[in-house]
Amino acid sequence: MKKYLTKNLVVILALAFVVAACKQPTALIDSAKAAIEDVTKAGADKYAVEELKALNDDLTKAMDEVTAQDKKFFKKFGTAKDILTQLATKAAELKAQVPAKIEAAKNLGIQFQGEAQTALAEAKDFLAKAPKGKGTAKDLEALKADLTGAETAFAEIQAALDASDFIGAQDKAKSVKEKAAAIAEQVKAAIEKVKK
Amino acid sequence: MSAPKRLAKTLALGLFILAAACRTPPVPSEIAQAVVLEKDLGRAGGTLFFPEEVEAYRRRLVALKAAFETERAKFGWFRDYGPLRASSRRLLEEGGGILDRVARAKSSRSDSFQTAAGELEDRVARLKTITAYFNENDTIRQYATQAEIKLAEARLRAEKENYVEAKKSAAEGMALVEKAQAAAGGVLARYLDPDELARWRRLAEDTVASTRASGKVAFVVNKIERTLTVYRGGEAVSSYGVGLGRYGLSDKLFSGDEATPEGRYMIVQKFPQSTFYKALLINYPNDLDRKEFAAAKRKGGVPGGASIGGAIEIHGGGRDNLTMGCVGLENRDMDEVFRWAEIGTTVTIVGALAVEGTILEEIRKFGKNE
Repeated sequence: MKKYLTKNLVVILALAFVVAACKQPTALIDSAKAAIEDVTKAGADKYAVEELKALNDDLTKAMDEVTAQDKKFFKKFGTAKDILTQLATKAAELKAQVPAKIEAAKNLGIQFQGEAQTALAEAKDFLAKAPKGKGTAKDLEALKADLTGAETAFAEIQAALDASDFIGAQDKAKSVKEKAAAIAEQVKAAIEKVKK
Repeated sequence: MSAPKRLAKTLALGLFILAAACRTPPVPSEIAQAVVLEKDLGRAGGTLFFPEEVEAYRRRLVALKAAFETERAKFGWFRDYGPLRASSRRLLEEGGGILDRVARAKSSRSDSFQTAAGELEDRVARLKTITAYFNENDTIRQYATQAEIKLAEARLRAEKENYVEAKKSAAEGMALVEKAQAAAGGVLARYLDPDELARWRRLAEDTVASTRASGKVAFVVNKIERTLTVYRGGEAVSSYGVGLGRYGLSDKLFSGDEATPEGRYMIVQKFPQSTFYKALLINYPNDLDRKEFAAAKRKGGVPGGASIGGAIEIHGGGRDNLTMGCVGLENRDMDEVFRWAEIGTTVTIVGALAVEGTILEEIRKFGKNE
């Protein structure tokens, strides 16, 4: 009789384990979601867009797996659990990396600012050296005004950096650099016009 | 009880428990789908487009999950996921609807941005074309360049699908275009003034009429069109492109303002050799110029110590040169004008004679945003 009871207990415990395994990994899902929200708030939506997308894709994959298993008689949430556990780890790693990514974005903004400044200085140099002779004076005056406009826009880069809008600063710097380069090309064309 | 019987009983009990546990009403998969949909909404930028709707969706999802946990806590046989399944389906429908709207809004924002960017690009290009017609364009071009940079910035943001920021940059660009337009208005307002245009027309018509009566030659300089037209016997016999002073569209008032005078003058001296190839000196300032200078000086419109100036010529050296207020021509054209000119030849300088068919028409349309 005692043996019989022990056997039953073992079977019940084993089945309880199976039943437990049938449950959705809700806690893991919630913690994965919380981890993603956490890393998003840390700035990943701006400075680690691709990595954040990968995390969200992992969550979708895990949820798809949960949905698929839910439809089965014998539910195996092991794969989903693995993905969710890895996701939480990846999210924590990404969160730790975000400050460095923000710093890198800032440095890139500063680098682009420097490049824009160099491009403006080059254009200014070309303008200063350009012969204001027949056929160029009017063009060069117009380009000088264009350059002044680009220099005014350049000041916005620092304002964006100061406001910690590093992506905005990069975009502004790229735009100013592009315009300064175009002005330099136009100055060269004006000089060529004189040579002909 | 025999061992096989006991084993059979144990297995039967086990299967019963397993069936009771795992064959309880199946968990509605719609809840998991609703969770995925919540993430999809987040990734699609739902909170940017429809924050209230997405928040409401999230709140309902939280409530649904709580209801699910309550239901799941019940013993298997007493669980009823039916109402939850129905709620989940409604939530999924709602979420799907938001997602569709986000996609449409995104597409609409992209279209709306492309429209705004196209409009900005067009207006900047028109501004630059307009400024090519006159020299007093520093401020206008500065604003136009800043607007161009804003446009480039907006495009970079749109590439990242950040249409909110992209449209903001485009709007800032458009504000700069408006500033440029206002600056252009300051320079060109009197060119669009019907009274001023009528006065210039009368001046030019009188000059042409005088050549008809006398059979002599007269020159009419049209500043906005940058032309010098030779009239003889009431007919235009030749026309040349000219350059003007640095601030040539303004009426000359004092020495050093680099403006080109307006009014009726005459050639008082011919220089077959000059710093600027050949030159024809006109009698600026005339009596009217003196009166205007005195009036401006009384009102403080002339810098202290500034004189009325003089030495205004029609000369060679190229029409693209920015003069100090003189009328500049290409040397080959100057040869012809020099031959037409005599001491006493009338030189009438006007701002414009017409709006239609000239750059003024484009400027007017630009001002009206047409």
